[in-house]
Amino acid sequence: MNRNLYTFFSFFILGMFLPELANAQEQDKVWFDGAARSFFARDAVGETELPDTTSSINSSSGYNLLDLNTHINPNENIEVFAQLRVRNTFGGFFGSGTSVDVRQLTAKGTINDKIRFSIGDLYLKQTRFTLFNSDEELSSQDQGMFQSYRDIIHYENFYTENRWRQQGLQTNFSFNFDRFIRTLAFDFFITRPRGSELITSSINSSDMLLSGGSMVTQINKRFNVQTHYVNLFEVGSSGTSNISVRNPVYQISVSHMLSLERSKVTQTIQTGFSQRHWLYSELPNNLEDSISNVTKGLFFEFENKYFENDSTFSFTVGYRYVDPAFRSAGAQTRRLDFGQESLNSTYPLYTNASLPRPTSLFDIISDENIYNQDLSTTLMGFNPMYSNVLPYGDATPNRHGAYLSSNLQTSSKSLITNVKSGYFTEVIGQGTFERRTFFSLQSGLKFNVHQMASWRKILSVSLSSDYENTQRSGDEYASLQLRSQQNNVFVNAEVTDDLFVQFGWKQFKTKGREYVSQRNEFGEIVNFNLRDFDQKDHFVSTGILYQLRQNVYANLQYNWWGVANDDPTISDFNYTRLMFVLSIKL
Amino acid sequence: MNRHILLLMLFVACLYACTKDDFEGPALDSLFGDFSIVDSLVISTNAPDFTNNEEVTFYSKFTTVVDWKISIKGLSSNSIKELSGFSNTIDPDVVSWNGSTSQVPFFQLEDCAIELTFENYPDTLRDSLTVLGTKIYDGIVVADFEDGLPEDAVFWKQAGGNMTFDMSNDDPLEGETYFKMGGKVGWDWVLGSLDIPLTNMSDVTTNPSNFYVNLGILSGINGAFADNQFINILISESNTPFDDNSSNNASDVFENDMEVYQYKIQPVDWLGWQLKTFSYDMFEEKNASNASVIYDRNPRDITAIRIQCQACPYNASSACPGNEFIDVRTDVDFVVFTENVGLLDQ
Repeated sequence: MNRNLYTFFSFFILGMFLPELANAQEQDKVWFDGAARSFFARDAVGETELPDTTSSINSSSGYNLLDLNTHINPNENIEVFAQLRVRNTFGGFFGSGTSVDVRQLTAKGTINDKIRFSIGDLYLKQTRFTLFNSDEELSSQDQGMFQSYRDIIHYENFYTENRWRQQGLQTNFSFNFDRFIRTLAFDFFITRPRGSELITSSINSSDMLLSGGSMVTQINKRFNVQTHYVNLFEVGSSGTSNISVRNPVYQISVSHMLSLERSKVTQTIQTGFSQRHWLYSELPNNLEDSISNVTKGLFFEFENKYFENDSTFSFTVGYRYVDPAFRSAGAQTRRLDFGQESLNSTYPLYTNASLPRPTSLFDIISDENIYNQDLSTTLMGFNPMYSNVLPYGDATPNRHGAYLSSNLQTSSKSLITNVKSGYFTEVIGQGTFERRTFFSLQSGLKFNVHQMASWRKILSVSLSSDYENTQRSGDEYASLQLRSQQNNVFVNAEVTDDLFVQFGWKQFKTKGREYVSQRNEFGEIVNFNLRDFDQKDHFVSTGILYQLRQNVYANLQYNWWGVANDDPTISDFNYTRLMFVLSIKL
Repeated sequence: MNRHILLLMLFVACLYACTKDDFEGPALDSLFGDFSIVDSLVISTNAPDFTNNEEVTFYSKFTTVVDWKISIKGLSSNSIKELSGFSNTIDPDVVSWNGSTSQVPFFQLEDCAIELTFENYPDTLRDSLTVLGTKIYDGIVVADFEDGLPEDAVFWKQAGGNMTFDMSNDDPLEGETYFKMGGKVGWDWVLGSLDIPLTNMSDVTTNPSNFYVNLGILSGINGAFADNQFINILISESNTPFDDNSSNNASDVFENDMEVYQYKIQPVDWLGWQLKTFSYDMFEEKNASNASVIYDRNPRDITAIRIQCQACPYNASSACPGNEFIDVRTDVDFVVFTENVGLLDQ
């Protein structure tokens, strides 16, 4: 225990002075930055519907970690970046809980001041239909109370600006013109999301590669044209299997921007198509290759944006069509895979029967270990309770409909509101000719009381709600309705300089019935599971935050969380947590 | 301006009309509707001769997609073959029986009872047939013991109590005879072994993951079995002469400096016969630390197999005092190599 305390305080002190250390160590050719985190959680079992004498009544866990970023600039055009992680689990004894890893490694530079390149860890993003890491469910209306958890999830899983972290090679370059068009920019990459793996002692899976390119041209002040291409494919010859997948996606968009005196209006029209198939190589048998499970689909989107230059108001309205057979691995891969049996980190088993505890609101918000970093060639499983309208982001197949969003705030930012809504229907039915209709409404309201009252210290109250409704009419088998709603309250009060008292309340409730589709290895629906939902999740938190600067804070929270379910096969559960995190990012 | 809005509305209306009168996945009413049998169970023949590669096909049709199971039980042998699926039709082009078994013993020339059952529904359809000819399994028969030990095979046993290691015909898995391996040894794990040379492997074309070792094992005496009794299978790819050295206990091709692979069936803890199947790639290198041995596993190069009976010794180990009062029994029969599929999957 003494050793843990010593380690903890060492990191605390190191964290406090890391910014200054980094400045002091900055050199012409080698410089450092990084991140450090101390995390401690003590979990305890609360009230449970069924007795649970097999789980410990409470348990503690935590760690210290330091991500030291080394930047080496051998000349002004090249930088080599390495991130070294030192992690020490609380309770580790003589180094048994300590690990040292190279977490990231990248070389990047510019050739002849014209062509930029990066080799190693890359963070890639194109458009919402070709390559895009869509946000996880229940995250759209998150307020500051749960930001400490979100920060950890996103950092540990390399979720940065909806990009997918890949390893490979990227290059881009651009041209400026004095007639016909203004600029023309190109970007190309090739990465390897998955290497060949040994499945049995004599069977190797194939290498999976992701390649792509973009061409963006600014025709004039008003017109912008973009084309994108991405392809996720396996190299059959790199493994012992003769089956390999191909999933190319093509996209083109045209944007028109109109600048008015105090605002801007942008219209964007974009469309594209995808193809996915599995190639069967018959090379060893001297036969012609064949393909199977071919799916081809297109998408279309027309969007209008109105934006006031002082950022006090923006409004977006659009229409989107995504074909049922549109498949884009780079855009449809989910962060959470409910199709896989994965155990939660906190009390993974519960009740005396040691049942796997279902993933709940708390796990989605706090557990970095249930998240996915790998691209999937087929649609991953989702839980309709938490996300049924657009489970695969804007590229969700089999949807067409209209959407809008708006942000409004006073010039002093004393009142900030946002609304986002969508109404979609299926293009074709699932298991029936009847089609589902989907409606979603997200709304948020934030009162910056200190702005209204001209107080120096911050006091803000945030209220938000996220509602989803799914309906299908028809006979007794086809008809269904599923409603879910998330409500949030967050109060943030600065009691002394940089020290905040916080209270957060998050409730999620769902009721209704829905068919959960089961897909085979080629992504085809082979069965439906009828599920009745009637569940309430809660997550209440209170604590203090000491915010030294934007990315340097210490947060102490006490959490109450649990689930009440009317499903007799799922026992209710309640837990509590005391959590402390010290986070430093440079 | 109004014309533009009108055009836009027309365009959106056109896109709304782009929905298709189709659906993906199985029909819901076929999954969740009321279950009833549309067409009863039909079998293609009541007197199949599997020796001549004849097959029995099955047909039935129901109103909904269900989990169904066809069980065929040999009334003399008690052998069982099970076929199952998830559909609303049992398609005779897909669902057929070639005389194989899901669970040993093998089918004999006998009458069989057939039952078609459905998960979550009490309905049962019944029929029967008579087997006129049993299935002949494809494979390289290493030992079926019908004519005694295989040619040039050698066995060795400890000087323990009640040692069997001999032919017997009281309860064979296949044919009339099997090889008993058992007894009681308190001072050593090994009770004995049977070494069989192999000279007919040159026609094998499959790689180790598609090459299977199948053997039947009989365990249990008076409803009980010895603690931690097991069978250790060793396969040699050594070209050393099989049994030139008369000074050792058994053959000469399983030494530590030879290319030998091994797989342990541990424990043998069941009563009666079970047929076990293992692909050759599951075997481990017997002496992986010996750098002088080149392990380039290839089924074509197999020269011998050793079937070794072992058990926890009650004098040398405190873990199994009960073995003093029970004989070890790991009898074997029908040792067969198969390519591409295991014996029971044929």
